[in-house]
Amino acid sequence: MKKILALAMVLCMIFALATPLSAFADDAVTISLWTYPIGKWTDEATVKEFIAAFNEVHPEITVKVEYLDYTNGDDKINTAIEGGQAPDIVMEGPERLIANWGAKGLMLDLADLVPAGTFEGVASSCTTADGKVFELPVCMTAHCMAINKDVFEAADALQYIDLEKHTWTTENFLKAVQAVADAGYDYVGTVFCGGQGGDQGTRALVTNLCGGTYANPEHTQYTYASEENAKALSLLCNQAGITFDPAIVASDEIQNFVNGTFQMAFCWNATQEVNNADALSFDVFPMAFPAPDGVPSLQGGIWGFGIFDNKDEARANAAKEFIKFLTADDAVYTKVVEATNFQPVRDVAGVYEGNELMAEYALMNPMMGDYYQITKGWTTARTEWWNMLQRVGESDGTPEAILVELTAAQDAANAAAAAE
Amino acid sequence: MSDKSKLGSLRSNNLVLQENVSAYLFLLPFLIFFVGFVLYPMFMCLFTSFFDATMGRKDIFIGFQNYKELANDPVFWVALRNTLVIVVVSVPVTCIFSLWVATIISRMPMAATSAFRCIFYLPVVTGSVAVTMVWKWMFNNYYGIFNYLGQNMGLIDKPINWLGNPKYALGCIILILLTTSVGQPIVLYVSALDNVDKSLVEAAEVDGATPMQAFWRVKWPQMMPTTLYILVITTINSFQCFALIQLLTSGGPKNSTMTIMYYIYYNAFKLYRYGYGNAMGVILAIIIAILSAVQFKLGQEK
Amino acid sequence: MNSKKPSIYYFICYILVALLALSFLFPLYWIITGSFKVKADIISKTPVWIPTQWVLDNYQNLLSKRSAPLFQIGSWVGPTIPAAFRWLINTVFMSAVSMLLTCLTASMAGYALAKKRFYGRTILFSLIVAAMALPKQVILIPLLREMSALHLYDHIWATIIPIVGWPFGVFLIKQFAEGIPTEMVEACRIDGASEWRTFTDVMFPMIKPGVGACAIFTFINSWNDYFMQLIMLSSTQNQTISLGIATMQGENSTDFGLIMAGSALASVPIIIVFIVFQKYFTKGITMGAVKG
Repeated sequence: MKKILALAMVLCMIFALATPLSAFADDAVTISLWTYPIGKWTDEATVKEFIAAFNEVHPEITVKVEYLDYTNGDDKINTAIEGGQAPDIVMEGPERLIANWGAKGLMLDLADLVPAGTFEGVASSCTTADGKVFELPVCMTAHCMAINKDVFEAADALQYIDLEKHTWTTENFLKAVQAVADAGYDYVGTVFCGGQGGDQGTRALVTNLCGGTYANPEHTQYTYASEENAKALSLLCNQAGITFDPAIVASDEIQNFVNGTFQMAFCWNATQEVNNADALSFDVFPMAFPAPDGVPSLQGGIWGFGIFDNKDEARANAAKEFIKFLTADDAVYTKVVEATNFQPVRDVAGVYEGNELMAEYALMNPMMGDYYQITKGWTTARTEWWNMLQRVGESDGTPEAILVELTAAQDAANAAAAAE
Repeated sequence: MSDKSKLGSLRSNNLVLQENVSAYLFLLPFLIFFVGFVLYPMFMCLFTSFFDATMGRKDIFIGFQNYKELANDPVFWVALRNTLVIVVVSVPVTCIFSLWVATIISRMPMAATSAFRCIFYLPVVTGSVAVTMVWKWMFNNYYGIFNYLGQNMGLIDKPINWLGNPKYALGCIILILLTTSVGQPIVLYVSALDNVDKSLVEAAEVDGATPMQAFWRVKWPQMMPTTLYILVITTINSFQCFALIQLLTSGGPKNSTMTIMYYIYYNAFKLYRYGYGNAMGVILAIIIAILSAVQFKLGQEK
Repeated sequence: MNSKKPSIYYFICYILVALLALSFLFPLYWIITGSFKVKADIISKTPVWIPTQWVLDNYQNLLSKRSAPLFQIGSWVGPTIPAAFRWLINTVFMSAVSMLLTCLTASMAGYALAKKRFYGRTILFSLIVAAMALPKQVILIPLLREMSALHLYDHIWATIIPIVGWPFGVFLIKQFAEGIPTEMVEACRIDGASEWRTFTDVMFPMIKPGVGACAIFTFINSWNDYFMQLIMLSSTQNQTISLGIATMQGENSTDFGLIMAGSALASVPIIIVFIVFQKYFTKGITMGAVKG
């Protein structure tokens, strides 16, 4: 019995110890690709198809894929960097982690890989002040919100909406919320602030409502502690039907929207509508964020590839080959974009052909605003933001009190920006 | 060689040496792991706490700067307070609750005792991620079971956002922690109650002691070692409550559930401030060392 | 017990305990039924106590969405299986090896601490007591740097080693071994037995219940050690079950059905083990504690 046990243990140890000692043939290269759940890029079958196509051209390169989630993904890459095992390629976005790592000297410059014809705005957003490109853009979207059209219709609130353009003014937004609240709905919209998940929604809502800004145009400083944003938050605090909830993040908000608890979602995009199709029992109507004149500047999101500088030229070149394969050729690129459920970053024919849903969401693109996520101190600014919303939710709701909280958060973010 | 006394002292020296060598040989396997993967990282933690350490660059020596900043960081003090509240509340409550449940279920028939023992142990073995998810749903503001029952039974007139209200959030965390930590103490107390010397209890009853008196005067002292052991493990458990906070509240709302453990993680992996996180770790380690020493001294005296 | 008051008191208590037991059973009930629910049931506003339709979709997703090799030794890669099975194997392996190694090292060290007089004994014991309650978050960063220097990052051993180093087992067994009469050890030594034989033939059988307690405690602790796994493991084939399921979540959406299915898959075996071995479980824990 004892001998069997000992033997079993020895075998186990061999099993475990042997795992990392992989031996490779001489000219073969193995690179790792870590991808966030971007549309179908979390789906093993889809990703394997791309790799199989790539291996037809480059059989000598093996691509190992790891899938990340948004809850733990950032920590995982950070620990991997600290553990000296950063991946070769990361597919990430749009919260500028790559830019952060780039600033710390961990990423390779990909400027020569940017395909011709990439939209000027996108290309410049991905380029640093000294002309480097750490994140090769692949797809983008303008973040929007959504309403429960059935409920809005029943509450006679559709009159406040430009149904064709999917926009509304601040005044009409508040009227619509009031109408839905009057129709007996306690939770029309909820400012979720339990963490950073989906915070692009709350940022866009607050900064557009009264014409405020988040960062200066030079992207050197945060500017959200303004009279406009204080007024916007005060309006939200005092509006019937709008609550602040520090117990939930965007994923909870979306779930509550889908099951009919909330009548609006501030964090929404085409992927959400596709993913929740079988659980939705009402008509989802995507909307731009409200602005005083009805013309918001939507928060853009750009997703793309970054390559970690692992001091291994063979792997770096293989990684570049892989990215080039996915982005340079129009036919492959179209498929890559369609797998993300977002919009392409350059004009390619036939993307999402015949897809009405994507056409509806594409209406948001022209309203894309400043891409301020490249401002320094971004991680601090992000965490300060949701913590600030929690305090605002507990405050008395006057613009003065709110401005104090905004200023405290902005000071911390700017201090972090200056320190970087 | 002929000198007997010299031989004797040599032999006793030899014995001492032998005893030391054999003791350390027995300790060796454990020491490799303990020194290598607990004490050494602990020392590095102390060492790094004097540096401004972050990702992607060399650490910069800054002396006591991190500690000075800690003293002026209000979040740190809130986190410290919350950590101590969790420990101070959950340890005695766990002990008392499990003792009470144990006295009840140990009076039941054998099969029922073992069934209940098993049920109370379930949350320990079910896995923290899934259990936490279920609790999150139960505490949900909009359709959670607590608000549902509370409103139906007329206990509350408006839904309470349990995890979103700074007044209740920490209490909810402690409650969940309680359900995941009473399993083992209940098992222990049931057995301890079984092992109590029955003749002493009977003798006390013959002498006219009430059941209450018999319990506190006769049974309780006999269960003292069990209680001490339970105190130790629940203290350990309370300090380990990290997953709960990460999965439920991320330290919010308004830092009301921020603990030192989460704040270290937050500084290290959200803000990349390794040195600062380590300084906090050092303070926490000192506090825990003092607490353990006190607990242990008390235990030995009794 | 013949007076009336206690019996009413106990009657109320029975009901209370039964209600409490129900609330302790509830999460497991919810997880198991949840794993068979359709998405609309899971996110429904009103609680769906019994699934409106029982489906296996969640299990299908769990088993089909990710795959991993059964094993990989050098360039010898095993057959591809659903990653969930590999994660289960990893989790069981991690907990079992942590348990075996901890029991081995802790019983040896506990014996030495209890029965031997050596230089540095007091200091070592104080260190053990002080380090026992230390949360892992404290040594997180240095440990991570150390593991990567040893090329153990993203390796199941990186989650096992810190558990074996954790001194609680030593404390437990030392307390237990102190209750064993020293004369027995001495008698054995006078008979001329070697140190090792004294340990294996005399000491070990007597501290067995304590070792049992240590085994159970370590196994469950390791099984639930989500944090260390999160920090130390990254690749699909090296992950544990709770970690693996987390990576199957989409953008801003939590697939509760999948989590429930994964958790059911992971917890049912350990619960069955617990029910079957309940006697040994409780005996081990109790003996270890009561003597201590």
